[in-house]
Amino acid sequence: MALSGMRGLSVFISDIRNCQNKEQERLRVDKELGNVRTRFKNEKGLTPYEKKKYVWKMLYIYMLGYDVDFGHMEAVSLLSAPKYPEKQVGYIVTSCLLNENHDFLRIAINAVRNDIIGRNETFQCLALTLAGNIGGREFAESLAPDVQKLLISSSCRPLVRKKAALCLLRLYRKNPDVVNVDGWSDRMAQLLDERDMGVLTSSMSLLVSLVSNNHEAYWSCVPKCVKILERLARNQDVPQEYTYYGIPSPWLQVKTMRALQYFPTVEDPNTRRSLFEVLQRILMGTDVVKNVNKNNASHAVLFEALALVMHLDAEKEMMSQCVALLGKFIAVREPNIRYLGLENMTRMLMVAEVQDIIKRHQAQIITSLKDPDISIRRRALDLLYGMCDVSNAKDIVEELLQYLTTADFAMREELSLKAAILAEKFAPDLSWYVDVILQLIDKAGDFVSDDIWFRVVHFVTNNEDLQPYAALKAREYLDKPAIHETMVKVSAYLLGEYSHLLARRPGCSPKEIFNIIHEKLPTVSISTIAILLSTYAKILMHTQPPDRDLQSQIWAVFSKYESCIDAEIQQRAVEYHALSMKGAALMDILAEMPKFPERQSPLIKKAEDSEADTAEQSAIKLRAQQQNSNALVVTDQRPTNGAQPAGQLGLVKVPILSNADQSAAEIVSHANGALTVVDPQPPSTPSPDLLGDLLGPLAIEGPTGAAPASVASGLEGGVDADALAIAPIEEQANAVQPIGDIAERFHALCLKDSGVLYEDPYIQIGLKAEWGGHRGRVVLFLGNKITSPLNSVQALILPPSHLKMELSLVPETIPPRAQVQCPLEVMNLQPSRDIAVLDFSYKFGTQLVNVKLRLPAVLNKFLQPISVSAEEFFPQWRSLSGPPLKLQEVVRGVRPMPLAEMANLFNSLNLIVCPGLDPNPNNLVASTTFYSESTRAMLCLIRTETDPADRTQLRMTVASGDPTLTYELKEFVKEQLVNIPVPSRPPLAMPSHIQPTSPPPSAISDPGALLAGLL
Amino acid sequence: MIRGVIIMNDQGQPRLVKFYEYQPVEKQHELIRSIYRILCSRAENVSNFVKVDSLFGSDVRLVYKTFATLYFVFIFDNSENELAMLDLMQVFVEILDKCFSNVCELDVVFNFNKVHTILDEIILGGQVLETSTSEVVKAVEEISKMESKANWQGR
Repeated sequence: MALSGMRGLSVFISDIRNCQNKEQERLRVDKELGNVRTRFKNEKGLTPYEKKKYVWKMLYIYMLGYDVDFGHMEAVSLLSAPKYPEKQVGYIVTSCLLNENHDFLRIAINAVRNDIIGRNETFQCLALTLAGNIGGREFAESLAPDVQKLLISSSCRPLVRKKAALCLLRLYRKNPDVVNVDGWSDRMAQLLDERDMGVLTSSMSLLVSLVSNNHEAYWSCVPKCVKILERLARNQDVPQEYTYYGIPSPWLQVKTMRALQYFPTVEDPNTRRSLFEVLQRILMGTDVVKNVNKNNASHAVLFEALALVMHLDAEKEMMSQCVALLGKFIAVREPNIRYLGLENMTRMLMVAEVQDIIKRHQAQIITSLKDPDISIRRRALDLLYGMCDVSNAKDIVEELLQYLTTADFAMREELSLKAAILAEKFAPDLSWYVDVILQLIDKAGDFVSDDIWFRVVHFVTNNEDLQPYAALKAREYLDKPAIHETMVKVSAYLLGEYSHLLARRPGCSPKEIFNIIHEKLPTVSISTIAILLSTYAKILMHTQPPDRDLQSQIWAVFSKYESCIDAEIQQRAVEYHALSMKGAALMDILAEMPKFPERQSPLIKKAEDSEADTAEQSAIKLRAQQQNSNALVVTDQRPTNGAQPAGQLGLVKVPILSNADQSAAEIVSHANGALTVVDPQPPSTPSPDLLGDLLGPLAIEGPTGAAPASVASGLEGGVDADALAIAPIEEQANAVQPIGDIAERFHALCLKDSGVLYEDPYIQIGLKAEWGGHRGRVVLFLGNKITSPLNSVQALILPPSHLKMELSLVPETIPPRAQVQCPLEVMNLQPSRDIAVLDFSYKFGTQLVNVKLRLPAVLNKFLQPISVSAEEFFPQWRSLSGPPLKLQEVVRGVRPMPLAEMANLFNSLNLIVCPGLDPNPNNLVASTTFYSESTRAMLCLIRTETDPADRTQLRMTVASGDPTLTYELKEFVKEQLVNIPVPSRPPLAMPSHIQPTSPPPSAISDPGALLAGLL
Repeated sequence: MIRGVIIMNDQGQPRLVKFYEYQPVEKQHELIRSIYRILCSRAENVSNFVKVDSLFGSDVRLVYKTFATLYFVFIFDNSENELAMLDLMQVFVEILDKCFSNVCELDVVFNFNKVHTILDEIILGGQVLETSTSEVVKAVEEISKMESKANWQGR
């Protein structure tokens, strides 16, 4: 055994090895660090040998995980030592212990440069290695020209030149400007003629880095790359030492094919033909052999060839050949090849025309779910998930369910989420979907997130046909001896709502249902007990005629929990008890939950943005808090005219979306004794999550005072106290002035789907939209804010040519304090940035008020976020090679904003930023899918390159498969980024000379009194 | 780009740690521990690939190989070919074998400085520098010669 050649170092390492525990090791390390520190202080007595020894000790200690925070200066000073050993020590320790931003490193630049331009090749190697490993921007600026000289010098040894190539690569990455494209592209092409394989390999890496940023300048390299590939594939003139297990330099082959993938295409027919010949030879000439290393090497080349074939958009025949090969690979013995076979097949899914051929391998892929290697099982799951569609969803999801019981714990959560999403996306019928989710909960309850069961409730609630089926299924699961708590929750919920639909079936009488659910109560947690209490109240209500026996049983439960320590439980018990004692009169309050508004599946959303944006989350939290604080204000709002029965006020049923913790505030009793509910969340605001909906108390549906709701949405829409305060003053000036900035409201609505579009002292127009694919449904909420009717109401849509819009009938009169809903159907025909206008007018008394409002049916509403991985992104990006499908523009006059803010802006436009795709942290890469009738779903890719030194300009590249779309999207994004001077507000409203008959509702009564009125 | 090269033994003790993108020392050790936890749970005769999304992000891959008591680990991004990385690892090991004639863990422990020197001749700045075994051995021998010459002068 050869020792380090340094006795002191060996002794130290032995000491460390002999330490019995971490504490002893630490003591030994501290002692050594103390020793080294003292010796470094008296540098005079140190021989180069000793210095070297100490520095290696430092590095060893560093490797063990201890911070070494001294000796840096000494190390840096050694760089300029005249003799090799000292210099070498300096270089090694500097590049290990310091990072590119370390202050000491700046001091070192000159010493490094002197070694690079000096004549000593061993010194040059040391300097190039350091700069190539840790050089930063300043290194790049001062060293790049000298490094370039070394690389192209004919007198340098290959050993120096190959290091120079990789050093230049690092410097280029730190600052792309150091390579002058015009001057360098010819040199780069010449470098590819290099005979030395080491220099050629390094140069190829350099080329990959250059073309990944800008391929335009390096077209002349393409034929040369093809030549190199031909030479290697035919094994012509490849020195023996570069043949690895009989394969001519697999690394160079791989790198060369990588470089070619950065060019959008190979146009020259001769070059293209030669390239395809080589690729064909690689595809056909690779066999699985016994030697693992040879196998790895030959398949490294083969898989790279597959990627290149895919990139080049080969004919279908060749693609099918590739899929056939992959099909072979996923069944071989060699696990690495199975793994990569599955991975590349997933990548192949991007090629539409081979998707059907991939489906032929479904059975084998399903077998791979049982592979002994979890890495392979994960790949198989990804592939199955990717290839699933309506045609095979049933098979695949059922396989996943079966696999769930035996799957590794590490995979179960992902597996359940994926199964749930596929079941939702591709369900042939909804009862099957219910089956799948209930099975999921049954088999892997611990791994089924709340989102999954909320979603099934959502579907069942919104589909009446499904309700008896779901209730029956839930009932069946309750018969099982031990069921997961999530199953208790979902079953109890469904049976509470719909068990009366089963009443005639055996075992489904209210009493039996109650008993079987109540059996579970002792074993469940507080949050489940809350649901059970709601269920009991509902069962009781549905039992007509009342069953005295059941009633007393349930009342006993309620009274027991009336003193529960948990406030939520206590409150529910008290309220349900009191409510249910009121008897049949309260049927309405305990009626079935209303339908949920359609919204994007939280599951799919979760899968899409698995990397949750924390800023976004905190925004949601903030909004939720604001809603809570609004709740009091809202509940305080009562019609000034107390005699007016609530029932006559509301034309609209407001869906109740209540948060559990607000339950007390929601239920208020009107003076006339009729119960009404004031929704703390106005209809125009979707509930922040499903949790609030489902964990809330009973579905309490009742007529709602529209006026409070519209005031609430006014508050929601960002009308602050100031705006409200201004209103009366303007009324005194006898002019109908809009409240709030119309343009600002429009811009806000471009980014969100609900809020206030327009408001003046008399009317408020709220808007709520749902978008899916190329269609959208917008509901306009026209709320009369005052106590007299608004007449001659007219709403006219002026759609641009690319939108088809149909507005339902708008009533001519809006009664006092009422709100009407007008649905508007939107269909997007083709990409365009034109904007639809709503021409709205009404009469107040004799005065006509007319406003023209832009409608937020803008381009980004037809975008759906899609997050693409690098494997998906780059082939697309390259295949969209240039105008008119890919457009680039330098945008000036950009509103300066930090990069994170720009990323947020992109995300809010549904252009999903894909972090990590671009190595340059100043660039943003985003992807999205655009939907219109003409383009169908179309992937759009965007890259913005910003300059941290000048935030007012950036370079933007937009690509999609449709030239109009590319252009419109580019212009659209540009509009969002540049600072458009805000035009002075146009006279949108006609002056009015009418004094309102009564002030806007503002009377606030004591919340305590309201609560006291409760029951 | 290769992000890092780690050699550790089957107890999780690091024998060589080299990151090509700076990581603070605490972070390095957190990563080594996490990687060790994943590797020691892997059976034999499985693939050499491990998913490390949670440690490094989704575009980073890891290949490993076991040689006697040692794990060799390469961490790299998606600009590299996975199997080519395994080949490079094999080259690295073959070179160690040549330099130490039948390399074992103790060789790596007591000569970690030489292992660093060897690695620097194979990978530079996270890029493949040299793939020919004989070229690397030649370069390393040259450096050793110069060191020993200086050592004799230095003593």
